[in-house]
Amino acid sequence: MCHNVSVNESKRSNSANISSELAKSARIEILQMTHDAKASHVGSALSVVDILAVLYSDFANINPLNIDSVDRDVVILSKGHACTALYAVLSLREFFPNEWLRRYCTNGAELSGHVTSAYVPGVELSTGSLGHGLPYGLGIQLSRQRYSVDGRTYVIMSDGECDEGTTWESALLANHHGLDKLFVIVDRNQIQSMGSTENTLALEPFDSKWRAFGWNVIEVDGHDHNQLRNAFEIPVNGKPTCVIANTLKGKGIDFMENQVLWHYRPPSTQDLNNALLQLSSESL
Amino acid sequence: MRNSFVDALYEEAKRDENIILITGDLGYQLFDKFADNLPKQFINAGLTEQSMMSMAAGIASTGKRVFVYSIANFSTLRCLEQIRNDVCYMNKSVVIVSVGSGFAYGTLGYSHHATEDIAIMRSLPNMEVVSPCDKFEADVLTRMISHTQRPTYLRLGKAGEPDLHSNYPTMVFGKFAELTSGSDGYIFFTGSIGLVALDAKRELENLGKSVSIISVPFISQLDEEYLQKISTSKPIVVLEEHGKRGGLGSAFLEKFNELGIRADITHIAASQEEISLTGSQDYLREMNGISTKNIVAVFR
Repeated sequence: MCHNVSVNESKRSNSANISSELAKSARIEILQMTHDAKASHVGSALSVVDILAVLYSDFANINPLNIDSVDRDVVILSKGHACTALYAVLSLREFFPNEWLRRYCTNGAELSGHVTSAYVPGVELSTGSLGHGLPYGLGIQLSRQRYSVDGRTYVIMSDGECDEGTTWESALLANHHGLDKLFVIVDRNQIQSMGSTENTLALEPFDSKWRAFGWNVIEVDGHDHNQLRNAFEIPVNGKPTCVIANTLKGKGIDFMENQVLWHYRPPSTQDLNNALLQLSSESL
Repeated sequence: MRNSFVDALYEEAKRDENIILITGDLGYQLFDKFADNLPKQFINAGLTEQSMMSMAAGIASTGKRVFVYSIANFSTLRCLEQIRNDVCYMNKSVVIVSVGSGFAYGTLGYSHHATEDIAIMRSLPNMEVVSPCDKFEADVLTRMISHTQRPTYLRLGKAGEPDLHSNYPTMVFGKFAELTSGSDGYIFFTGSIGLVALDAKRELENLGKSVSIISVPFISQLDEEYLQKISTSKPIVVLEEHGKRGGLGSAFLEKFNELGIRADITHIAASQEEISLTGSQDYLREMNGISTKNIVAVFR
């Protein structure tokens, strides 16, 4: 864990390699899972997976051995429909066996089609309905602040999720209580359920909204691991932090990128093969 | 009932710093002592009922017992999905406290009438619905639920209701609390509406009849042992200050069916034929068919 200090270049380079490998392996798992289960939301998972990979590779203080520690870092995937990204990363980090991914969405499986915590080590909150992760996460940080317990909470949200009223209630609450170990990462891929966020319900000027609510705001390329890592290293200053991670829905697979269609369509076998071919030939 | 709750919770929270109280900006002056003396354990979340409820679940996930307080519909229906997903699905140690059961806030209008809350809260998995009838039950039940972990709904009246018990009753999870025992039938009730049951009892005594009056403080788990011993040939009234659909009456019918008890139940609850009526609690009870007269008629 490297909060509040600048990591040296060699460590940074090493970390970037670890998280890039993790993200690449997770992308393969995401494609395989959504193909096998004929499941939706492959584009959403490919959009968010780099953020998860950075947090779980080495940055956040959370691993299979400390999942019950009171001062662990908490990662909440509030956009629960991108569950395959979280499941893939957790499995690759050995929170649970890889076979669970193969059973994704089958009868009696541990892993369901939105993030479920009950049977899954490392998952902090069951999500699926948008707008729950941030207030839940701020509750954790408010308690930690009151009882002097260390640890951060990272809540990963979609940009469409920022339509929900609880996002802005929580933005008020987190600022009011000065929860400076609370991080929101918005997966800003500009696409929500039926089209672009700006055509559906405009969010811009997005950064200034968060600033007006009293938050630190950092805008990064949400697929650039070093930029993400830098954003999380912001010095603690009494304010919560919103990282606007500019992303591409479907990132990494050219025929899926930036298309609403892949919010819904499961990859066919041919899609899967084409996608895996791209991943094997490209360095992300 | 409300003051009794706050006093009991304050005492329990003084002894256990893992008890936290969140209010949705309601309870003017009510929480002053709590907030002044236990500031670490008190949060006014402002008017953010939905976030407040998810936040409560998040706090509970750090090992706390979290009480969330507001007027009935604001702490229940306004944030129902947060209760369903973050409290019940996650099975977190949150107590949802509502004040203003039934028509307690009669003149404030239907927005403030709690007439569907039992139905909805008792339909949620993992949820324990707890409904005291007076300040004595409110005190005892508050202390009991302060030390459990289950998602719980505590349904309070307001302040200053008449006492129905004469002292602090001995209470056990899942058990009824009998106020009086009689031989000519039963009146099961929940909440402060028990006052009307006691009025009916006195009128029936003038007619030479005695009835059992039974408070039902635990609605999610009706007292099967008691129910299996009742004499089903006697009149049975189920009385509640709540709409007819889904509340205590429905819970009784479901339980009787499950236990194979064949009996006629007369359900006296709010007819809700005209929900926009304005008036006092007594007036609205009467206009909704919840009256001493209607109870007495069952036993004539």
